[in-house]
Parts: sequence; structure tokens; C-alpha cells
Amino acid sequence: MPKWGMVIDLETCTGCQACTTACAMENNRLPGENWQDVLFYAEGEYPNLNLSWLPRPCMQCENPSCVSVCPTKATYKDEGTGVVLIDWNKCIGCKYCMIACPYGVRFYMDEAPIVEPDVREAFPASGRRSWNPPFKMPDEYEDASKGIGIQPKGVVSKCTFCYHKISQAPEGVADLDEDNPETREFTPACVRVCAPKSRFFGDLDNPDSHVNQLIAEKGGVRLKEETGNKPQVYYLSGGGSPVVPGSRSRRS
Amino acid sequence: MAMMTDTAPEQGRSNHFLLHLMAALVLLALGGGYVIWEILQFGKVQFNTNNAGIHWGMAIVTYDYFLLTSTGLAMVASLWHVFGIKEFEPVARRALWLAMAGLMGGVVVLFLELGNPWIALWATPLNMQTSSPLFWKVLLVGAYAVSLGIVLLGMINKPDAGRNPLMMLVGLLALAVTLVAGLVYGMMAMRPVWFGGEVPVVFLIESFMGALAFTMFFSHLKNGFNHANMRPETRLLFEGTLARMFAISIGLHFILHAGRALTGLWSNAEGMQVWEYLVAQPLFHFALWGCVALPFVLMVLPATRSNGLMQILAAALVMIGLLISRYEFIIGGQMVPLFKGTWATDLLHYSPSNGEWALLVLAVGLANTVYAFAAWKLGAEDRA
Repeated sequence: MPKWGMVIDLETCTGCQACTTACAMENNRLPGENWQDVLFYAEGEYPNLNLSWLPRPCMQCENPSCVSVCPTKATYKDEGTGVVLIDWNKCIGCKYCMIACPYGVRFYMDEAPIVEPDVREAFPASGRRSWNPPFKMPDEYEDASKGIGIQPKGVVSKCTFCYHKISQAPEGVADLDEDNPETREFTPACVRVCAPKSRFFGDLDNPDSHVNQLIAEKGGVRLKEETGNKPQVYYLSGGGSPVVPGSRSRRS
Repeated sequence: MAMMTDTAPEQGRSNHFLLHLMAALVLLALGGGYVIWEILQFGKVQFNTNNAGIHWGMAIVTYDYFLLTSTGLAMVASLWHVFGIKEFEPVARRALWLAMAGLMGGVVVLFLELGNPWIALWATPLNMQTSSPLFWKVLLVGAYAVSLGIVLLGMINKPDAGRNPLMMLVGLLALAVTLVAGLVYGMMAMRPVWFGGEVPVVFLIESFMGALAFTMFFSHLKNGFNHANMRPETRLLFEGTLARMFAISIGLHFILHAGRALTGLWSNAEGMQVWEYLVAQPLFHFALWGCVALPFVLMVLPATRSNGLMQILAAALVMIGLLISRYEFIIGGQMVPLFKGTWATDLLHYSPSNGEWALLVLAVGLANTVYAFAAWKLGAEDRA
């Protein structure tokens, strides 16, 4: 069984946010609630100013604190893919996973809208769905037990690595690459649209995978290693700059 | 019979409780009505938490405040029922009914705050996520509520019964709930303001201190805030053992509270800058000096310790101060945004919404309704 992981090359990432937009379209996200976000960091003052950015999906940790704290096992690690998923049928909306995630990549439905006006009012809900967006994935992809589809009220959601795509990938494949016609359809939306090709997606348990080669050759690092969560998302920074821009203390 | 003459006439006491019940029902109707109206009209979005980083707001502050007060009160009652400390017999029954009242007030607020509270009832016990402190908290709170309910039912059916052996279980569960409630926060290594093994101990001391304050305040309330109406043995308890315990617990709370603030101010670690913000707020100093240091002095000096008015003042200040401390702890722990870009402010700002204040009013109203009804009809104050 594969253990899917992602490599993001910060040297080639342009911060264009195509990944954010593709994710929002693919996964029916509310405006501003970006499962795949690009964080911007401005440091210094004019004329010595530096603007940098960091793409940040869910880290799909090997040892996820969100799974450990969930009192109902609604958040769980899928054994077949190594992806952290949420069973919306069991989520009680206690938000403890949001408290415990060191990367801040989880979202609660019943919150004040991040972007006004609230599109949930413009596209009111039908059935179990909390809203009814004009853009949405085909109904057959929806799976509440994996947190895929339109979020019901009172539950938490997060990036699934496009589980509805990657779980259909041919068995034994080492990488899911948009340039390979055989794997294009199974590649996560954020990887598939990345114009400068800064994102790579593959099996971390397969020594022949391209992602493993990149991690080994270019010194892939993970965020917040001190938490022990062991992310399955690796960053390449060329070794000349810190992985997380603006990571120095913000204490005044 | 001599003891009965030390209390207000039975008819007067009955009217007193009825008045208390009516006032509590008004609060319950106001708070509950507003909350239900908001939920029906706008949904739980009105509870003002947001995806920017403040996930647990005033509702969780209220829930934990009432829950820990309840467990503390059960521990106070255990002093008589479990340890046989005779001095605490006059307040044990009152403390137990107040424990149930506080528990109900807190749990109702939690149910209103949770996204899917009914799913929690089956999904939590059936899925056995033993690594989650919340799993244990839910289980323990459930067991605590049931065992406390059985003890109180026993009191209604056998009002003259003495110490109840089941109180050993209630006391143990109250202790466990309090410690696990501390672990819910203390285990969060990614939240520097919360993280630490001392948090369960802090919660235990605060829980006990709050319970003593509630016992003192409601004992005076029962006597119409007239010290002279109080039974001699209760008066002796309040001027002696209970007051000393109260003073010691306030002192310990002061040391832990001030110690954590000083550590936070001293530390360079990212995340601890919250303390600079908190200490700069007048609310922090009102809570620390007005609601901790002042009651400590009032309970240490013999002259003020034996003064009924000063006892009421000390108890009321501690009750208010604990709510502020709980608020600062829970909100403060979330004020540093986790992994946001520089577009996010250095510290997140939060103030409770009208709906969240209404939840507090609802909890106060419900807890007082339960207690006043129990005092009026179920004999909660018959031998107090």
C-alpha cells in the first residue's frame, strides 16, 4: 500500500496561488477557507523589503496530533493511502483537532465567514449540505465518511490530498504526475495545475519514487519537526534559505 | 430544636427560595431565549469563534468554569461524606446540590456550543479513542453526573441518612474530571501558554477554591445575607476551618497564577508574548489583585475573616476572578495564530458576542434554577 506524500520546491514556486484556486474548485471550498493556502511573509521596511511565501496544504502527518485528540475517532489515518481524513458522520464539532494541529490547516463550518458577503446565504443549503455552491464536484465523488464533498453543518474539514482521485490510482505506481497520461487523472488538483511544476506527488514508501529522489538529493525538510508529527509534505529550499520564510520570532 | 431557632422561620425560608427560583427562571428565560433565537435565526456562527485561530471561545470558558466549580463542590462535600470531617456536615448537602446545579449549567452550554452534540453521546463511548483527553473527560463527566444524581436521589428519599459511601466514587470522579480537564489543555505542546504538567494541579486548586467560594456565598444567600441568621456550627466553620482552607487555596492560586505570568513575561519563546498582552490589560490586574490578593487578605486577617459581609465579599470576588482567569487562560492560549503568514496579526483579538454572553446568563440562570428548586422542594437546605 502506498504512503502518499508531497514535495514542494520553494525555489521554483512563484506564489501564484493556482494551487489554492484549483483546490477550492475541486473541493467546493468556501471563499477564504483554503485547504491549500499560500502564506505570505513580508519582512523588513522599504527599501530593504523582502516578500516571500510558503504553500501550505495539510501535512498528512505520520503521527498526527489531530488524530490523537479526536474523542470519537472521526479524524483518522487511512491505512490504504496514509492520508488523514475526517468522518463527518462521527465529527461532533468539538474543534479539539483544530486546537491540536500545529499547522492550522483545519476549518470549522459554523464560523463567521472569512470573506464577506457570506456565500452560504447566497447559495442556501439543501439536504445535509450546509450550502449549495454553483460549482461542485460530481455527486458520486462525495463521501461523508472521508470528509469529501460539501461540508455538513457543525463539522471540521481539511485537505484530503484529493483522496477521491489518488485512491483510484493504478496499484504499484510510484508517482502521480500530471505529465504522465496514465496518472494525470489521479493527480491531486494542486499538483496538476502547478504551472512552474513546483509540486511533486508520490509514494514515500517506494524507494524508486521521484519524490524520494528529490527529498534525498535536494535535502527535503519537514515543518515543525519538534512537534513529532512527522509530516508527509516535504519542502525543498535549496539549502540557502530557511524553509519557512519569516520564521524568526515575531516578538517585539 | 435549639438549632432550629437559629435559623429563619420555615415559612420565610420557603418564600426566600421561591423568590430565588423566580429570579433564576427570569435569567434562564432571558439567556436561553436569546440563545435559541440566535441559533434558529443565524446558527451557531453567532458564537463568534473563527477559523483564524480562536476555536474555543466564551462558551467553553463558561462550560469549564461551571464544570470545575461543580467538581470542586463535590470534593468539598466529600470532606464530610468520605473523610468524616464533621465540621463540613452542615454544608455538605448544599455543596452537592450546588455541584449538580453547576454541572447542569455547564453541560447545557457545551451542548449548545458543540457542532453535533447528539452524535457525541454515542460516538465518544463507542469509538474508544483512549489517546484523547476529551474522550476520558466525556466518560468521566458522564459517570460523575450519574453517580452524583444517585447520591442526590438517595438524599431526597432518605433525608436523614448520614454519610453516603457512594460519595467515595463521586469524590474520586470529581477529582479525575478536574485533573483530566487540566490535561485537555496541559497536553497541547503546540500551545505554549497552555502546555505544562502543572495545569491539572492548577485546575485542582482553582476548582477547590471556587467551590469554597460558592459554598460560602450560597450559605450566606440561604440566610438572606444576614450573618446572624447562620447556625452557630456553620458560622464557626466559616470563621475557622473553611476560611483557613479558603485562604490557603487562594494563596496557592495567587502563587501559581502570578508565577505563570512571570514565567511567560520572562520567556523568549514564541507564543509566550501573550502574557505581555494579558498583563497590560486592566482585567488581569483586577483579577489578580482585586479578586485573588484582596480575598486572601480578607480571609487571613481574623477581624475580617469573622465578618459576614467580608466573607460574602471575598467569596463573590473569588467567583468573579476565577471566571476572568479561566477566560484569560483559554482565550490567551489561542491568541498566537498557528502558522499563518504575516498577513495575520501578531495576536488574534477576541471579545465575546452577545450570544456568548447570553450563554453565560443561561448557565447562571439554569444552575440557580436547579439549586433554588432543590432548596424549595427537594430539601437541599433542610439540614443546612
